[in-house]
Amino acid sequence: MIYSKMWCVVKPSVGIPVFIAAVAISSFSVHLALTTNTTWVKDFLNGGTKVVAAAPAADAAVKK
Amino acid sequence: MSNSDKVWPTGLTEAESEEIHRNLIQGTQIFGMIAAFAHLLAYIYSPWLK
Repeated sequence: MIYSKMWCVVKPSVGIPVFIAAVAISSFSVHLALTTNTTWVKDFLNGGTKVVAAAPAADAAVKK
Repeated sequence: MSNSDKVWPTGLTEAESEEIHRNLIQGTQIFGMIAAFAHLLAYIYSPWLK
């Protein structure tokens, strides 16, 4: 393919940082979108699943 | 001067350009594999998609 010759016309000292920055920015925006548009990420990061997992056990203990 | 010895505006020859590109692609593939593994862990250990 022709892509390997792109560095003949795009300086690597410019193209590579731009490429890495693009990956970083897109990855960051996906994570930001997830944290702002979902509830489960925040719950999970605050130990949500453990609370859910613990709750049934606590109920079971109470019922006995 | 054959085409392969020509120095392009970026100061590189075609061989040097292909060398850089090969390494950039390999690095991107390694990044991709790490990301895939991270998504697997997220799928297993987080409420994602459950």
